[in-house]
Amino acid sequence: MRLLLIEDDAMIGDAVRTGLRQDGFAVDWVRDAEAGDAAAKSEEYALVLLDLGLPRKSGLDWLRDARRRGVGTPVLILTARDAVADRITGLDAGADDYLVKPFDLDELAARVRALLRRRAGRVEPLLKHGELTLDPATHEARFKDEPIILSAREYALLAALLERPGAILSRSQLEQRLYGWGEEVESNTVEVHIHHLRKKLGADFIRNVRGLGYTLSKAA
Amino acid sequence: MTNSIRGRLLAWLLGALVIAGSLIGYSAYQRAHHDLDELLDYQLKQLAFSLSRQSVIGNAALPPGMELPEPDFITQVWDKQGVLMFYSRPNVAIPMKPRPGFANMDWNGQSWRVFTQLDGARIIQVAHPLSLRKEMAADLARRAVIPLAALLPLLGVGIWIVVGRSLKPLSSISAALRARSPSAMQPLSKQNLPDEVLPLVWSLNDLLERLHRALQAQRQFVADAAHELRSPLTAVRLQLQLVKRAETEEERNAALDKLERGVHRSTRLVQQLLTLARQEPQERDTQGPVDLHRLAAEVVADFEPIAQGRNLSLQLSGAPGVVVSGSADSLRVMLSNLVDNALRYTPAGGHVRVITSVDAAEAVIEVEDSGPGIAADQRERVFDRFYRVSETAGVDEGSGLGLAIVKGVADSHQGTVALADGADGKGLRVSVRLPRAVA
Repeated sequence: MRLLLIEDDAMIGDAVRTGLRQDGFAVDWVRDAEAGDAAAKSEEYALVLLDLGLPRKSGLDWLRDARRRGVGTPVLILTARDAVADRITGLDAGADDYLVKPFDLDELAARVRALLRRRAGRVEPLLKHGELTLDPATHEARFKDEPIILSAREYALLAALLERPGAILSRSQLEQRLYGWGEEVESNTVEVHIHHLRKKLGADFIRNVRGLGYTLSKAA
Repeated sequence: MTNSIRGRLLAWLLGALVIAGSLIGYSAYQRAHHDLDELLDYQLKQLAFSLSRQSVIGNAALPPGMELPEPDFITQVWDKQGVLMFYSRPNVAIPMKPRPGFANMDWNGQSWRVFTQLDGARIIQVAHPLSLRKEMAADLARRAVIPLAALLPLLGVGIWIVVGRSLKPLSSISAALRARSPSAMQPLSKQNLPDEVLPLVWSLNDLLERLHRALQAQRQFVADAAHELRSPLTAVRLQLQLVKRAETEEERNAALDKLERGVHRSTRLVQQLLTLARQEPQERDTQGPVDLHRLAAEVVADFEPIAQGRNLSLQLSGAPGVVVSGSADSLRVMLSNLVDNALRYTPAGGHVRVITSVDAAEAVIEVEDSGPGIAADQRERVFDRFYRVSETAGVDEGSGLGLAIVKGVADSHQGTVALADGADGKGLRVSVRLPRAVA
């Protein structure tokens, strides 16, 4: 899942990006509202993490403008403003959740997962397809009732495919979900991960749709 | 002596009344005594004359129809040979006065006013005790004073009530103040106040106003500070979690490195907040002549290792004798912040120059760097507390307090701070101008 982080504080931005990457998210980090606009136009994000105290244009203004333009991406506000009135203003401006600084990285990740789940229209926290079960909170995977070991990238790739079963994701779409800006992408890396996954889940689990991309086989 | 205005007024006014009453009594006594002297002397004379017209026979009785007007008058008649022919009281035998006219005589332990008249062959003498005159005068004086004395308690009550009413505004002010919560700073009402109390209320309101502003500023400061502390603390908390999550030694070291920087940043912010808080009440600490150039030399020496560490050239130019009057400690804080800021925002290989100079009335200290500078439209705002210039790449987060501290110190020394482009239009030049000390 690719997230956009708009945060002007260098230390907080860096730590949030690092933490969320460890949780398997691809994170793009910008430091003001203008850069946030530019990023939102060029990439498709599953969720935006928005600081309110941005220089020049506030996060709230950015959010209102984005909603006015019809941007439907879920927005999670990260701010030091903790008054109830501030939370109400933030949520009414179009935010989907509100987290007050200082916050906990694990809570942030849990809220991100919850928002993504809601966006996908799921109520079940676990991702399931056939005999495969993924737990987004712990990154644990079970196949045929046996735990299997997945690398972070393998997990992210599998999760992207399980997010919307039946959809075909192109190689570049998968890359986009796996890597934030500045992360090295080797040319054949998606193929490598698919290869490893097929070894663990069986050759038929992920189908290659020639010229289009990858999709999951119909669940048995 | 009681310290109550009411009690004092009562005591003084009643005291004055008592003294006035005594004076009135005394003068009434004197006047009555004088009048009585005249009146009774006249009566003595009249009595003597009326007796001289009578032919008194025998010594035992008055002639018929002859009633003595006052029993206190003693009448005696002698013949030429000094034989007592008549007396009005058998047991009062005042000796015969040798010469006619008025005189005071002592007889039998009493003082007497005596009038003696020669009437042909007889000597007539009429006497009246002086002590009676005194008694009568005192009685008259007493009558004049008694109504006054009777009025005294009434006056006392009246004074007590009137003074109490006049002082009511004071007690209502103190009641109004007592009923207030410590944070209620609205001015006291000036309605219906006597002229004597108004200045007090003005001064109180003035004080309340100043307290209010100080309290507001302090509250704002605390709120700002608490808000601002959240960012570095958030960073530290996140960095700490990253340390915990680290799986490899390499990851852990990188995370610890960042954590250390976060802690450093928090510490610095707290230090600067303290500096700012100490400036807040405009404390007039040790004032004295301070040579800005010498102070700048010390500060530059302090920062030299840091400058070298960042590969920056740090230079001082100017000459000693840039003397201002003020607090050396505050001015050192100001210079340190200026130099620290310049070093912080200037990329490696750049330079920071500190220049001191004097002109007619002012001492000038300038800190010039080859950093990114501050856009003209942001130059006003950078003096605001907690305002940070956006997007200064590669710089540890500043506290946003440095220039606010500089401005605070300059303000408290009646100086000004101005921002301009550095040399060749690059970088930033901060100029602080302070009034020169009178040599």
